[in-house]
Amino acid sequence: MKIFYKITFSTLIFLSTYIYSELRIEITGGTNEPIRVAMVPLEWTINTVPSLYLHEVVKKDLESFGEFSVLSPEDMLSYPTLEGEVSYRDWRLLKVDYLIIGSVLESEVIGEVKIAYSILDVSRQKNIHKALISGSIKSLKRIGHNISDRIYQKINGIPGIFSTRIAYVDKPVSGDDSYNLRITDIDGDGDSSLFLSNQPILSPDWSSDGKQLAYVSFEEGTSRIYIQELSTGNRRALKHERGINSSPSWSPDGNYLAAVLSKGGNPDIYLYNLRNNTWKQLTDHYGIDTEPDWSPNGKSLIFTSNRSGSPQIYEINASTMRIKRRTFEGTYNARARYLPDGKSIIYVHRRKGIFHIALHKLKTGRISILTDTFLDESPSVSPNGNVIIYATKDRNTGADVLAGVSINGKTKFILPSASGGAREPAWSPILDKY
Amino acid sequence: MTIFQEFLVLLTIICGLAACTSTAIERTSDATTVPASVTNTYSEPNLASSSSVYFSYDNYNIDSIGSEKIKTLASLVKKNGANVRVEGHCDERGTREYNLALGERRANAIAELLIINGVSSNKITTVSYGEEKPASRGSNEKSWSKNRRALIKTF
Repeated sequence: MKIFYKITFSTLIFLSTYIYSELRIEITGGTNEPIRVAMVPLEWTINTVPSLYLHEVVKKDLESFGEFSVLSPEDMLSYPTLEGEVSYRDWRLLKVDYLIIGSVLESEVIGEVKIAYSILDVSRQKNIHKALISGSIKSLKRIGHNISDRIYQKINGIPGIFSTRIAYVDKPVSGDDSYNLRITDIDGDGDSSLFLSNQPILSPDWSSDGKQLAYVSFEEGTSRIYIQELSTGNRRALKHERGINSSPSWSPDGNYLAAVLSKGGNPDIYLYNLRNNTWKQLTDHYGIDTEPDWSPNGKSLIFTSNRSGSPQIYEINASTMRIKRRTFEGTYNARARYLPDGKSIIYVHRRKGIFHIALHKLKTGRISILTDTFLDESPSVSPNGNVIIYATKDRNTGADVLAGVSINGKTKFILPSASGGAREPAWSPILDKY
Repeated sequence: MTIFQEFLVLLTIICGLAACTSTAIERTSDATTVPASVTNTYSEPNLASSSSVYFSYDNYNIDSIGSEKIKTLASLVKKNGANVRVEGHCDERGTREYNLALGERRANAIAELLIINGVSSNKITTVSYGEEKPASRGSNEKSWSKNRRALIKTF
């Protein structure tokens, strides 16, 4: 019953906010027993009226991937703001694992606020984290996401992703052809356009500092790779070569883009040196080599090749150039992406004619199918490695939608789009440091 | 003593303890604004003709109907000296970048056949759109078969 209530609740949130934004998370699958958190509404000690309540932002964030269940204030027995006021018995009765208390304080900087808060471990009756953070009063929501990230980090031991963003390509079903490269906060807020064209856009990829996007645009009547700076909107085109220029992937150090060129007569992997604007060939095979992705340590790349007859995933060592085949199960494995720990990869895997997203542990070769949707493609991993976003088809409407799945396969969600044409998601790195 | 002061005092006391985690003020970033840019995009020159050759799934072999079409087209092009643009397209199954590569194979196969039939290679340009420009929407074989195509445009 608990899960049923939860799903209904998220659906309601979704319905009430749907018209205001492009993408929203809507949980569709069941979850594990979630961690129970309570956040007492923060004491508001300043003169201005709050534009939003931080505990509500945090509740929505933490519950968005089904890992947490957050107690509502109306179900609380007391409202402490200081550690000394906490009656742990109250919170044990409510089966709360972690309690968050604190205050919003005046800042000496005009237009800013400070937030002092603590995370208390209820069973151990211990303060496990105490922080004082500041930010613009106009960016209260962003501060809320930052607090959610910190709570997530302290409880789960891995970074939170509530301040991250998702780039995607939107192609509305109706009207003339228009391709729109958009960026949204993961809660659907701040959805804005970065680049608009009447020719196809694909394969957006974030630089590791989160400041630039590389992508492919057909605006000149042929594929070409562009880099766009997010803060200014400035664009620069990579040196164009004859044939396909596509599939950009930033190196972790930001100095190179791996990409695909077919100037040699067939698609091969090349490296583009961003300092001197030159291409260097990495693979050379008469088959199709495409979809490169850098390992997190920058030492190797995975890519798709049909050199064995069907598309499979290969790994190349960037210094020795030695190539190793990584997938052997099935006749279609493509567009692989490393997980942040570099130990596993995810890719598009065809089984019985249906395309799924698969998780593959490199050491053991063990594969698990994570999705049960239709025509799944373009998987992208959250920077903490816990969630995958991918593109799929809505079974009922046939619309292009983005969907998500937790890495353990237990929580599933979709991000309905207003236009019916969302595709090519790319999850940003951690943007707001904490 | 206001609650605000009380909190700061408490904070100071607790921070004195070694077990305390970082309490230095950390600033969160403000909302980022993203300026959008719009491009003047590619527009097609005046088309003289456009014809399609269809392919089977994950394949770039030209069947007999397609070969006949190319043969007729080649003789026409040789006569009027038109320029040819060959676009390779795929159905939506499989990944976008892999389909971009597959679409190029289709476009190249057509271009080669045009050349075999006497069209000068410097009259031909090829481009692959992969699965990005379907002729028919719909996730079924009826639509897919219309989308696995090469478009041969002359102008």
